[in-house]
Order: sequence, then structure tokens, then C-alpha cells
Amino acid sequence: MMEFKKELLSNGLCIIGEVNKAAKSAAVGFFVKTGSRDETEQINGVSHFLEHMLFKGTEKRSAIEVNEAFDRTGADFNAFTNEENTVFYSAVLPEYLVEVTGLWIELMRPALRDEDFNIEKNVIKEEIAMYKDLPSFDVMERCKTLHFDGHPCGNSVLGTEQSVENLTAEQMRAYFAGRYAPNNMVLACAGNFDWQRLCDIARQQCAKWQAQDAPRQLQPCQGSKKKKRIDKANLSREHICLFSPAVSAQDPRRFAASLLGFIVGDDVGSRFFWELVDKALAETATMQFGPMDGTGVFCSYIRCSSENVSKVLDIVKDVFQNLSDNSISDEELTKAKNKLLSALVIKNELPMGRLVDLGFNWTYLQQYRTVTDDIDAIKAITINDVHSLIEQFRPGQFTQLSIGPAQSR
Amino acid sequence: MAEKLDIHILKNGMVILGEPMEAVASVAFGFMLPAGAAALPQGCCGAGSVIVDWIFRGAGNKNNRQLGDALDSLGLHRAGSVGSSYIAIGAALEAGNLTEAIKLYGDIILEPGLADDQFELARQLAADAVLALDDDPRQKVMLKLREQFYPNPLGRSTVGNIDELKSLTAGKTKEIINSNFDLSKTIFAVAGKYDFDSLCRQMEKLFEAEQAGESKPITIGSKAGKYTHIGNDGAQVHIGVMTETVTPADEDYYNARVAVSVLSGGMSARLFTEVREKRGLCYAIGARYHGLKDAAGIACYAGTTPDKAQETLDVVIAEFNRLTDGIGEEEIQRAKIGLKSSLILHSESSSSRAGGLGSDYYLLGKVRSLDEIKKKIEETTVESVLEFLRNNKFKDFTVVTVGPKEVKVK
Repeated sequence: MMEFKKELLSNGLCIIGEVNKAAKSAAVGFFVKTGSRDETEQINGVSHFLEHMLFKGTEKRSAIEVNEAFDRTGADFNAFTNEENTVFYSAVLPEYLVEVTGLWIELMRPALRDEDFNIEKNVIKEEIAMYKDLPSFDVMERCKTLHFDGHPCGNSVLGTEQSVENLTAEQMRAYFAGRYAPNNMVLACAGNFDWQRLCDIARQQCAKWQAQDAPRQLQPCQGSKKKKRIDKANLSREHICLFSPAVSAQDPRRFAASLLGFIVGDDVGSRFFWELVDKALAETATMQFGPMDGTGVFCSYIRCSSENVSKVLDIVKDVFQNLSDNSISDEELTKAKNKLLSALVIKNELPMGRLVDLGFNWTYLQQYRTVTDDIDAIKAITINDVHSLIEQFRPGQFTQLSIGPAQSR
Repeated sequence: MAEKLDIHILKNGMVILGEPMEAVASVAFGFMLPAGAAALPQGCCGAGSVIVDWIFRGAGNKNNRQLGDALDSLGLHRAGSVGSSYIAIGAALEAGNLTEAIKLYGDIILEPGLADDQFELARQLAADAVLALDDDPRQKVMLKLREQFYPNPLGRSTVGNIDELKSLTAGKTKEIINSNFDLSKTIFAVAGKYDFDSLCRQMEKLFEAEQAGESKPITIGSKAGKYTHIGNDGAQVHIGVMTETVTPADEDYYNARVAVSVLSGGMSARLFTEVREKRGLCYAIGARYHGLKDAAGIACYAGTTPDKAQETLDVVIAEFNRLTDGIGEEEIQRAKIGLKSSLILHSESSSSRAGGLGSDYYLLGKVRSLDEIKKKIEETTVESVLEFLRNNKFKDFTVVTVGPKEVKVK
């Protein structure tokens, strides 16, 4: 029922699609291989700011005209930036797919006008302020920086108020010119759409884009294993974040790493859940595998009262210690597999969910994988696979950062 | 929001709704139990959060751990939430496990263990969630806004009140479960891949013996204050603004929805354009329709640094009021296509479909088809929306702020 299509333009732009005529909608987007890890300290925050600026118009359209053009199609559209990707995505009714694709293509060559840049700078500063008021987010950002300790993956995605204030439109234009090269991006589409029409419009409008080198540093990182605590007077809970190294997005062991994440830290039924949340010692305790380009992390987030902190950290230590003793049972692995498999199936039933997997598989692996390929890979994981991952990566040796109210002394 | 609707009513009044979806291998289901925040006795705010946790801590012949493991082994993605009228519990899963899952949920609803030691843990977690709101000012401001806007008890916090949670007992909570888990007022909805006949047989066997309880109408009181400020030494002032509009059953419902969409449907809508694009006042700004059965409002959120808070509030209120002055033809077309397209896009997810069936039935006493909604949206015009707005002028704005600086509400 699903049909995979691919075309590579001579400038390196790759167009991929998975056609599913049974879907009621389609999803289309650009996956640009650039993010905060590709920035220097002077321009920290530029990838994310640039993502905003792409919506501020082209030589032909103003920001307001761009928004109107999207809204005329009823598209559900947005974008996000992380450490290594900037993704522009939309879900749309099939009859508007070509129009929305055309718009995205136009936006990939933005005007980057000074006056738009100056107004949007205020919006970015408001976004930075908003996340400061969300300690559950703030603690992860800070712990990531502490873990990567000088490695570019530790760069803040938003940048700081200072780095954004100092950034110039000129610096942004230079960064854009270096990173938004056709060979550094993928145009992907999933759901109910006409592949031929998609290709025609991409060929017509993207062929003139110039290929160029868009290198990325890929040095390994074992993590600093540092521990740090920050007082913040206006908080009421303790927010704890743990980072430890893991396999990369390209590593075949990534499925075993995802399963380990479910076993240790799924929001219900995991080891963290039974030891911490079920016993009401922590309100939430999760661990997830975060695959990245050439590296990867396990990242945990725990929220509890100040009184429970030392008890919670002792239990966390025990949970990881226990893992190292080859303690995972058949039943535990099967439960984790069932949860991961049903999550995968449900997510991929929507064109938008499918687009994300399609785009990232191409970005990281230059490979098309069906949902069945992933299901089979997950089913094949053995207890030994998970145990050897634990032995090699030792998730109990982590970087730790917590933010909470001032401690009484 | 159904294309093909399955419906069956058990002898005790419990409603079973279903919508088959051909393209999926999953199924989602939900039970809506009439034990939402507004349905609780005075002094028990937060009991809903305790109940949603406690009933999963052992049921039938299974203890806490055995029940959790049984649910997990089916690969369920559980969802549980407390609303104003209902507690909703349900899950999304691979279709093959539906029968087993329903069996477990039957135990959870009919024979929860409700052990005292487990109550203390559930209550502690519910209290922790209330305290954690201090560290999430955005959620806190919107909860407080509903509390201030709706006449008591309709807007009562769905998370809880810390003092009332502290004095809540296991005995009192059991009483609430016994009287509020009334199957005659329970709605069950399923969407995705399922066999309706065998599902109905299973539901009859599990639930039909339970008889209807007494009807307990809610007495609606008065509204709270017009402006509330909660001090917090954070980076932003989080602003919530809410004003009255028509309920989902009202004949002007679609005019109201289109009006909200003009205000805040897409990125070309007025709030985003005026507050963010032109003035750079906010990152997060938006308004949405919020409807209960007996009251409804348009709720707006804006987060901004202290120096811009007053201007942000003033621009937001001016935009609400400016709606009556006129709406362009293109503007209304964008609002309508936005609403229609989001309707269809959401209809591809089994979870959101199951949720839609249940809430439609509760709010309207029937389930609207996708075509009916599309047609109603189509029928709205610039004239109909303007006439609606002129007949229903925004009179009062309830405002709540959380942050380091107060605003003036004019």
C-alpha cells in the first residue's frame, strides 16, 4: 500500500516520498541538517533565530503575506530547531499539497531583511524568557551543556539573551549561505499526494540552488560526569536532570537503547516508576534515549520535593546498580517491546508522524525504512543486546544538574 | 464527528459509541465517568486527581503491581484526565489487545482495590502536582483563569487545592467513587479497528448489572473576581484573559468558532499579527474556544516580559473589541478553511476521534458527522459572524496574571 519514491537533483537536493493513497491528508517538510552544534559561540542561537526568520518573507512576499498564504490552505504548519536539525513541517489536505510545497520551497530562500530581523529579535528574547520560567526545560538545557562540557552538542539551542542581542543580520546571512545548501537538506513528503507533481515543482524551483560544503564536527563525547546544583528562589520543587552517553542515531544498537529507556524510565510501569513515582517519592521520573549525529545520550528528568532529594538520588543509584547486575527479565523486555511497538504503530498512522521518521531516517542513514523494518528490528532485540549496552555505556555514571529552591542550611 | 457511527445503549443507560476507521491497525477507547471537578462535593477539590491514580493501584484479583504489569504487557498507552464534568480514563493500543484491555478496565471501574496505604500515595502525588504548578506559571495562570471566569463550581481546578487535598480521607474518597461512578451517566467511546458486536456483548456482560444511581444536579453559584494577580519572581508576566461566549449547543456556536478563528486561528489571524508580528511583544500568544455544557468562554494566553505586560493586555483586549468593527471576506475564508482542515486532520487519529465522540454526546446528546460540521462551518458568512458578535458584545473580561508585575484592567 505504501510506495517509496526518491529523486536526487544534480545540486544534491534529495526529494523523498512515501505515498499512501488511503490517507486523508499529506505531510510535507524540509529537514535541514543544521542546528546549535554547528554554531560558534559568537553566533550562538542563530539556527533557531534563522528558523523564525524564514517565516518573515522572501523577496516577493512579506511576513504577513507568508502567513496568509499558509492559512489560505488550512495547513497545520510550524518548525523546530534542535542541536542538529532545523525542520519545517506541515500537515495539509491533499488538494493543497502542491501549493504548500511551493511555499516551503520559496521560504527556503528568504529575504532576511534588517527590519524584520530587529522586530523578531524581541520575539526570540521573549521565547528565552518564557523558557526561563519553565524549570523542567531549563534544567535539561543546563545539564546538556554541563554533560557535553565544551563539545558543540552542548551549545544552547535558543542562545542567551546576550548572544542574541549581539547577533547581527549580516552574521545570520553568512550562516544561512553556508548551511542551507541543497545538499544539506531533504524535502520529504508522506501520505496522500501525487509524487510526479511534487517532483516537477521541486525540480523547477530548486534546481538553481547552489551546492556547497556544509561540514559538521563529529568528535565523540563521553560526557563530563560533573555534578552541579543551582538555587532559584522562586521555585517550589527540585528539578533533577541526568545525562549519560549512548549510541548514535546511526548505530544499529539504537533500538536496544530505546528499549532500555522504556525499561528504566517510561512514564508508567518502568523501574523509575515503580521505585520512585508509585511510592510517591517523586512526582515524575523518566528516562529517554536521545539519538544524535555520531553520538547519543540517555537523559533523565525527575521532579520531587526538597525533602526527598537525597532519598530519590539513593534510589536512582540503586536502580542503575541493579541494571549492571544483568537483572533484566524476559517479561520486562517483552513489556518494553510491546510499548515501543504500539507507540511506533500509532505514531505512524498519521502522515505527520510518518513524515518525521521518513525525514530523519534519510537525514541520518540515507536510508528508507518501512514501519515493518523498524518493527522487525525491535522484535529481534535480545536481553543480551540490552545488557551489553549497559555494560559498555554505564548509564549509572552520569552528569547531574539540579535546580531548586534555596536549601536550608 | 463520525462518518459511520456505531451506537448501543445498555439497559442501565450506559452509552457505547464507536467509529470504525479502515486505514488503521490501532484502536483507542475511553470511559467518561461523571466524577469531574465540578461534580465533587464542596471541600474535596483535587479528589479527581487522587481517584484517577488510586483506582489503578490494584483491581479485581490483582494487586497494584500485577495490574500495572498486566496493562503494560498489552502495550497500552494510557491516558487519564480530570475535566470539569468527567474523569476520562482510556488508552490507545494495537487492536488485537482490545478485549483484554476492556476486561482490565472493567475491573478498575467496578472492583477497584482502594487500599488505604495506596490512598496515601495517590494523595501525596496529587498534592505534589498542585505544588508543581508554582514551577509552571503558564499552566497555573490558565487554571486560575477558568476558576475565576466560570461560575462556581464549573471552573474548579481540575488539578486540586492543596488544603482540601491535605484534609481528604480515604473514606470520603471512597464515598465519592461509589456515588459518582454512575454507569447510567457513563459514556464509553471507541475508534479505530474493532468488532462492535462482540464489543457490545462484552460491555453488557461487564457493566449491565450495575444499576443507575441518584441524580445529583450541580448548583451553580456566582463568578469570582474580575482581576487576580499572583506574585512570582519569574522572567515573564503570564497573562490569561477570558470572556463569555455561547455554548456548544447554541445555534450560534459555529459563528463563535469562526470568530475565534479570525482572532487566533492561524498565523495570519489577528492576535498573532498584531501582538507578535507587528509589535514583537510576545513569543506565545493565542486564544481558543473553551466550552462546557452550561457555560463557555474564549480564553487567551500571552506571556511577556514585565515592561511589555500592560501594552500586551491592552492590544489583546482591543483586538477582541475590534472584531465587531468588521471582518474581511478573505479573512473569513482563511478562518473557515483552517477550522475545516483541522477537523479532517484530527479525524485521522483514533485517540482524538474517540475523545470527540464522547464529548459530542455529552455536550449535545448526539454525535455530529464530519459532513454536518463542515456544512455548518461553510454556512457561516461575514454577515452572520458580525451579527452574532453585535448581538453578543464582549462585556466583561476576566484577567489573571502570574509574574513579577501587576497590570491595570480598564
